[in-house]
Amino acid sequence: MNANEYQGSFLGRISIRRNQVVVMDAIHEQELEDIELFQKHVSDRFSELSSPSDDDAVLSISWLCKLLDVFLCCEAEFEAILLMDRDPYQLSKPPFDRLIPELLDRAVKALDICNAVTNGVESVRHCQKLAEIAISALDQKPIGDGEVKRAKRALSTLMAAINLDDKDGTNAKSTERSWSFGRRSGNKDRVAGQFRSLSWQVAKNWSAAKQIQSTIYNLVAPRGAEASGLPSPIYTMNVIMIFVMWALVAAIPCQERTGLPTHFPVPKQLNWAHSLIGLQEKIADEWKKKEKKGMAGLLDEMQRMEKSAQSLIDFTDSFQFPGDAEKLQEAAGHVAELTEICRIMEQGLTPLQMHIREVFHRIVRSRTEFLDVLEKASLPVI
Amino acid sequence: MDGCQSTIPTYEGDLHVVAAAHHIVKALGATKNLSDDLRKILIDLDAHLSMMTLNTDTKGGRGFVDVEERLKQAERKILSWEPDPRMIWDSGPREASEYLEAVDEIQTLLDGLRGLSVHENRKQKELLHRAMSVLQTAMSRLEEELIRILVQHGQQFDPKHMSSRSIQRDVVYDESFVSVEDEPAEETSSRNCSSDEIGEYIVDLVHAGVIPDIKSIAKVMFTSNYGPEFCEAFIGVRREALDQYFAILETEKLCIEDVLKLEWTSMSSKMNKWTWSMKIIVRVYLASEKRLCDQVLGDFGSVSSFCFLEISKATTLCLLNFGEAVAMGPRQPEKLLRLLDMYETLADLLRDIDTLFSEEAGSFVRLQFHELLKRLGDSSTAAFEAFRVAISSNGSLYPFPGGGVHPLNKYVMNYIGMFPEYCNTLNLLLKDQHADVADQDFEPEKGLDLSLSTSCPMACHLRSITSSLESNLHRKSQLYKNEALQHIFLMNNIHYLVQKVKGSELRLFFGDEWIRKHNGKFQQHAKNYERATWSSVISFLKDDNPGSSSFSKSTFKERCKGFSIAFEEVYKTQTSWCIPDPQLREDLRISTSLQVVLAYRTFLGRNSAHIEDKCVKHTVEHVEKLLLDLFKGPPRLSRNSRRW
Repeated sequence: MNANEYQGSFLGRISIRRNQVVVMDAIHEQELEDIELFQKHVSDRFSELSSPSDDDAVLSISWLCKLLDVFLCCEAEFEAILLMDRDPYQLSKPPFDRLIPELLDRAVKALDICNAVTNGVESVRHCQKLAEIAISALDQKPIGDGEVKRAKRALSTLMAAINLDDKDGTNAKSTERSWSFGRRSGNKDRVAGQFRSLSWQVAKNWSAAKQIQSTIYNLVAPRGAEASGLPSPIYTMNVIMIFVMWALVAAIPCQERTGLPTHFPVPKQLNWAHSLIGLQEKIADEWKKKEKKGMAGLLDEMQRMEKSAQSLIDFTDSFQFPGDAEKLQEAAGHVAELTEICRIMEQGLTPLQMHIREVFHRIVRSRTEFLDVLEKASLPVI
Repeated sequence: MDGCQSTIPTYEGDLHVVAAAHHIVKALGATKNLSDDLRKILIDLDAHLSMMTLNTDTKGGRGFVDVEERLKQAERKILSWEPDPRMIWDSGPREASEYLEAVDEIQTLLDGLRGLSVHENRKQKELLHRAMSVLQTAMSRLEEELIRILVQHGQQFDPKHMSSRSIQRDVVYDESFVSVEDEPAEETSSRNCSSDEIGEYIVDLVHAGVIPDIKSIAKVMFTSNYGPEFCEAFIGVRREALDQYFAILETEKLCIEDVLKLEWTSMSSKMNKWTWSMKIIVRVYLASEKRLCDQVLGDFGSVSSFCFLEISKATTLCLLNFGEAVAMGPRQPEKLLRLLDMYETLADLLRDIDTLFSEEAGSFVRLQFHELLKRLGDSSTAAFEAFRVAISSNGSLYPFPGGGVHPLNKYVMNYIGMFPEYCNTLNLLLKDQHADVADQDFEPEKGLDLSLSTSCPMACHLRSITSSLESNLHRKSQLYKNEALQHIFLMNNIHYLVQKVKGSELRLFFGDEWIRKHNGKFQQHAKNYERATWSSVISFLKDDNPGSSSFSKSTFKERCKGFSIAFEEVYKTQTSWCIPDPQLREDLRISTSLQVVLAYRTFLGRNSAHIEDKCVKHTVEHVEKLLLDLFKGPPRLSRNSRRW
């Protein structure tokens, strides 16, 4: 008898349970195979992510897009394993009555992170616009004081935006205060970047770091008999979701990242988790290095932009018309680098934003599907 | 000498002509009422003539003396403002226009210098460098002036002046359902008076008086290729203004996690607020912002829509996220109407959104709106289903005291009383949903009066809802041990159902056939009640022996006593029963009276010989009077009437 004949039929399943223990075993066997395959895919996908080519360094825009793709693939597979042809009652029993609500809670937190990061992409775009101004000024030949001043102004704003503490953006009291600017109040370096960050707020007092912390809280790897059954892919999916959200927060500026955890415990002996753990350690190291400084995040392009911008600021500081040929050439190199970064951003930021949104919608949909199943399980048996 | 003499007049002649032409062009350019095209031509011409002056200058060998002099003057003007603590545009229109003239002059000179064919001229290079430097100073200054003007003259309109249908609707059902019951029809119908009440209500977000100033700054910055700086400054200020407007709307930003934790009451008011804010933000604020962008930046191609998008994107997404959060929340039946409000508002605004974000770059925002609309639709359908489930699964452990109209019935009927207002939307959303319960009350083949309204999806679902409700009420009636009270309960409740349908627009969807049938139903219960209660009481008065005209004295005594006890028993229990509808109560009393009093009068009349004060406890009049006490309701009627 083919187990598939009973697919979707609840009554069919009951009869399976009562009479067809053999078939149940077959289903169980199939399930174990599916889980193993899922974890192999996870392992493969993350190992690909951890050995990126030159074009997409870890935490570059294109790498993040790949990461989000990996999330979408894993999620789809996970959902299939858990929900396809599943008897709803199984998911309403321990330990699933705890594991699934926990997963869904994390999903909700992930949604808020997606939103925070979507806003964060906007501030990256703002930096891109500022860099473009500097480029257009310094692309002139010959470069004069006017161009240099123009570039410097844009670059200072850019650096201020990059070094902006996450908190600054969220505490502005009033227009009057944030606009008491300009030479008339003696503050010559009024920064256009500061007010930009105002609207990135997700909610008052919301903190990306706390959000990540709370998703990590009480995440425990399944042990004993659970380690081989359905609880194990649920754990895997939890880890993937946390990792993806954590990487996004580390890479892209968003509301309140102080105290972002640099470690979440994933047992090393789990085969599928090797690459993921490696990536996590790598990103965590980067984060620790940069955490003390205010920063735009670990996004590869932003870090490169910061370096070039800083070099160009140094150049503009020491510039005297008509300028030293060697320095001019060096500056031209940085301008070229900046131009390249802006090109990548121009091409990549919108797709990245779309990707994040897609992940958002996917999480919403998947959550709904889980809730539907749980709801079915809670209906009285007739 | 001769040859020399012959060239000089030509050169001087050229110079004069060019100077004269230049003068005329400048004068023309100062005219206020010029079309944009014409103005552009004049500007081009102006630059061209400047270049000719320079060319003739250099050819004539007079060098750059004149150019340098002009540059010096303009430079002086621009630099003189640098240490000045005042803002130029605050100092008066003359200062502003003089400053702009100086910048214009620099631009003209720059164009001329760049246009020169002689490239290796040291003087030219030096002047060019100097001009660029001054221009940069001026541009920085203009950016600052721009921000100042935008901030100082930004205006926020008071949203409370915007009449909105949603505000009026709130009056109707933010209150408890009891008060909804008898709301005059005008109140609810306010909803129908058109969706574009707010209309294309466009306000000046920046004082109209300073728009020309902003435009003149835009013009000069864009001509000098400082467009990006202009945009960044403009976007920055306007974006913050929009963010601040949220505070004015008292719309606080909430994360999804918090929205999902909200209690129903605050959730409901937030949903309401959203519907209202959404309309004002899109129809008024964003439409006005769009106009502002077009006014200021319309001359510069796609810049205007780029700026608009940058200004509005984050905030718009934030509004959408609240919608997403609501749509993914638990499917409570009471959410239905609010969800429908949100759905309709969004559906209504979709066209505005598509216009506001018509460009390719805005497709992201557009897409999110469409996505949310779909989600709200799904969520509404789910809430509708939850409503139905809640009705059929609402259970009671104890019989409802007095047999009156059950709160569930009231709640449901008042709630669905709102549905006709959402008819089109519900029809759209329920089109593919099957009405669960067989629609037995509706027989289309019979109906010559079959109008569209009784066969639309909403009508089918309405009948299916009331049919679930009826089954539930039947179950609830079984909780009464007293059969007569079961009938009173059902009579009351079905009567209420019919009254609610008849007295509202629901009538159109249920149809006359349904009403007739249900009239019959409650009348049947009234009859059943009479039978269950009174036939045994009256049986005391009936002659078992149809032949004889009167009872024996002892039988009469016995019967009298029996009747009194039975009657008093009924009186004792049924005075606390309840028929809330006065008409229905009256009708039932009359028909009861007719039966009982008539039988009693006949009984006493026939046996008048045996009547003694002792055994006849009640006179006919007394019985008649006592019957009026029935169905007054439980002594302590309104304990906390339960809602679900």
